[in-house]
Amino acid sequence: MGRDGIAGLAVLAASLALFVLTLDLKDSPLVPVGPGFYPRIVLALTAVLSLGLAVADVLAHRGRRPAPAADATKLNYPLVAISFGVFALYVVALPWLGFRIATFAYVVASSSLLAPPRGAKGWSAPLILALATTVVTWLVFERWLSVLLPRGSWTDF
Amino acid sequence: MFDLLGTALVNVAQVKYLLPLFFGTLAGVVGGALPGVTITMTIIVVLPFTFGLDPLQGLAAMTGVYVGGSAGGLITACLIGIPGTPSAIATTFDGHPMAKKGEPGRAVWLGVWASFFGGLLGGAFLILATGPLAKFALQFGPWEFFSLFVFALSMVAGLVESSLAKGLVSGGLGLIVTILGSDPVMGQKRLTLGIPFLEGGIDFLPVLIGVFAFAQIMSEVERMGGAEKLADAVDRSLGLAVSHLKVIGEILGRPFLLLWVAFIGVVIGVLPAIGGSAASMMAYDQAKKLSKHPQKFGSGVPEGIIASEASNNANVGGSLVTIMAFGIPGDAVTAVMLGALTIHGIQSGPLFILQNPELAYGIFAAYLLAHPLMVLIIGLSTSFMLRIVTVPKAVLFPVVLVLCVIGAYALNNTMSNVYVLLAFGLIGYAMVKGGFPLAPFILGVILGDQIEINLIRAIMTDADPWLFLTRPISGALIALSVASVVFAIWQHYRHQSKVAGDSETDF
Amino acid sequence: MKKLAIALTGFALLATAGAFAAYPDRPVKLIVPWPAGGDTDNIFRPYAPLLQKHIGQTVVIANVGGASGTKGAKEAKDAPPDGYTLYAVHDYIHSTYYTGVSDVNYTDFEPICMISSTASVLTASPKTPWKDWAGLLADAKARPGQISVGATLGSTSHFFPALIEKAAGIKFKYVSYEGLAPRMNAILGGHTDLTDANMTQKGKVEAGQLKFIAIATEKRSPEMPGVPTLKELGVNVVYDVNRGVLAPKGTPADVLVKLESSCAAAAKEPAFADSMKKQATDVRYMGRKQYADWLKGNDDLNKTLAKDLGLLKR
Repeated sequence: MGRDGIAGLAVLAASLALFVLTLDLKDSPLVPVGPGFYPRIVLALTAVLSLGLAVADVLAHRGRRPAPAADATKLNYPLVAISFGVFALYVVALPWLGFRIATFAYVVASSSLLAPPRGAKGWSAPLILALATTVVTWLVFERWLSVLLPRGSWTDF
Repeated sequence: MFDLLGTALVNVAQVKYLLPLFFGTLAGVVGGALPGVTITMTIIVVLPFTFGLDPLQGLAAMTGVYVGGSAGGLITACLIGIPGTPSAIATTFDGHPMAKKGEPGRAVWLGVWASFFGGLLGGAFLILATGPLAKFALQFGPWEFFSLFVFALSMVAGLVESSLAKGLVSGGLGLIVTILGSDPVMGQKRLTLGIPFLEGGIDFLPVLIGVFAFAQIMSEVERMGGAEKLADAVDRSLGLAVSHLKVIGEILGRPFLLLWVAFIGVVIGVLPAIGGSAASMMAYDQAKKLSKHPQKFGSGVPEGIIASEASNNANVGGSLVTIMAFGIPGDAVTAVMLGALTIHGIQSGPLFILQNPELAYGIFAAYLLAHPLMVLIIGLSTSFMLRIVTVPKAVLFPVVLVLCVIGAYALNNTMSNVYVLLAFGLIGYAMVKGGFPLAPFILGVILGDQIEINLIRAIMTDADPWLFLTRPISGALIALSVASVVFAIWQHYRHQSKVAGDSETDF
Repeated sequence: MKKLAIALTGFALLATAGAFAAYPDRPVKLIVPWPAGGDTDNIFRPYAPLLQKHIGQTVVIANVGGASGTKGAKEAKDAPPDGYTLYAVHDYIHSTYYTGVSDVNYTDFEPICMISSTASVLTASPKTPWKDWAGLLADAKARPGQISVGATLGSTSHFFPALIEKAAGIKFKYVSYEGLAPRMNAILGGHTDLTDANMTQKGKVEAGQLKFIAIATEKRSPEMPGVPTLKELGVNVVYDVNRGVLAPKGTPADVLVKLESSCAAAAKEPAFADSMKKQATDVRYMGRKQYADWLKGNDDLNKTLAKDLGLLKR
């Protein structure tokens, strides 16, 4: 079984699990069909489709050697994982540190991660970028457009 | 109608609206020209700025992005041979060879003027067709809307290149996102999975922002680490001077071709969820078939550039018709525009043009004015545009993601939308890696609540389920949905012998 | 360790400094629990800048729509009670609570002020055959449960027609259309027959796109004297929707005082009266004390209504 088959089975399992959860939903007195009516249709349909995907994958793989992964270019997955990690930290820190501090830290971290600075001088680029991003977005959004940005509950800044 | 349009043109020509339109068009041209930044991503970045503007200012900026982005892709396509956006893929076929043969100016300006004329033809359609179509759409009851949404979803699932099954599963996953949290009719909690912020359901905008921004940025990040090749390939001293009259003459000298490819662009734009890349590919294909010298296509013929660029800008006009007359976003770009409308409290749908004529005609005017602005911007900026498109990703990506966070947060001023953004960023990237197309997923998320609400409304209005088939418009739409799936299966079997290559992911 | 302690003390100082600064020292968010463009939004949009003028800080409207207005209610309830999150409310808070649509009650909030009152008008689709109430009544008696009404279920637009049902001894069929704008789409297209609207739709009536059947006031409206009141038609229903501002429970007293005075000053601005006239809405100001009493009375009334209508779920 290939990648598609596994994905298909995962979706199948998820839709069946959610389908079971819909069975507990109580009908509403004001609507002829309850809140579970439409979800059950969607989940049943998705379950059938994902089963079909898994079956098609098994059939396609039978009698055929699984092709070896022939990616000529090596993809930099660790960088992707770290980038996601840094972004996740940023999101988690936002309500605590506030927009300005968290954004500054995030842009420094993320930019220097994507293009590692060389030597002490190399750090000036990400630092300037981070400062500019933070100050400009803050001024434009909060001061000019009155779009509120998160405030830190630890820092009140 | 034309007096309304005249008033709107005068209105939008004020600095108050012209400025956002100009900056929107500029952002569109730059975003379109940047390889790896699509129109969708540009409009996502522009979205938070529109929260603080008045509705027409915001929509003018977004219309500018759409028009500018559809043209901006051609600069990179012609000069570097890399499409700046997916809708410029077909432009590379002849644009780049022409530029390599020593006529880069002719290649770029053929594209720009073709975009201009194609876009204006799309605009004529937009202005003439929106009103009548909206009147037609007013006859749509819950049955028709339900069937229309189902049709849109089945069509986009069937159109994806990779596999019908994956397209349909993607669409199903999108619909599942909308059933989590609470039901849209009574707000009863359901399937909250014990997560408190899910109780109100999931908004589609943070999902869309997360999926598109991360799928795209992370797909670029995974190729980073080595030296960037792009900068070397660019000869920054290219001369782009060209006789504009001659280029315009080349385009207008082929009126039949221009009209035909603009028509293709508009029709594909009106159909939900197909998009500019399909329009330009199909138009290119048509131009080749109609040509007296099809064997020359690919070597730098003007027809190839004209077909691709005129159709992808006409496509914008068509997409705007769908969203303005029916209130249905045909693609991710118009979905963001719809989101901006709702944030400003404007109800889209068949009554939009009647209830907000100054806004509707304002959009028309912005669309028309964006075209000369686009020509002006490209004219002024081509010399340093190449410097802009080689801006380091390490600068671009963090800034884009910060703007995505602002956009998600500012929707409701709550962190929960930012968490949604992160979660769907991961999901979107995983889907790309698994080869699941994003377009049906996004359309499922956008339309899910509407499908459910209209289904329930139909049942509440009349308990007879056969009405979905016996009401003529609804029945026809259901028949079309079945036909589109059957067609996709048939095409799948026809192509099965061919080995499916890695298809370009269309964002 | 010592550094950490210093840093923590620093943070603590910063935090307390923030707490001691005079309210308000940053923008205030006003949650409108419906999509923008609805009638509640139309009333608070012109109000917000006036409140901003008197409160001395930016007032930002956040439209948190969804689930019959209960999504925004929940968010307002869960917001920190510091006066930086306010909640634009109307009578639906009682009706959604008693019909079991929502768990949020008016007692989860501190009243600040009431600002406006809008009378309901029974409105019909142009595609319906009746010319007036008599025609509607005869048809409703002939086809019980067949005439469809677009309504936000469990909310005021559901209660108003339900009161008419009861007073006139007829039966409607309800279809969920949340918010005024979708209800208008449906009724213009003839997909529902009746709905609860208000005088803001006057333009469409004059253009022949809608029919006003009757208004739920004591006296006819000077805006459209041709529209009869339900009372004079023998249907004893008077119904209006009252809008006000609430703050989460536990908001400090000094903040409430500041809010009340700003709210009062804003509601008394002539500019507010002008924009309310355009919305066919009366400015109806009540201070904290009076509004609290009114809310309590209205809550009892809605409980009785819900019980009478057979919708009571609590």
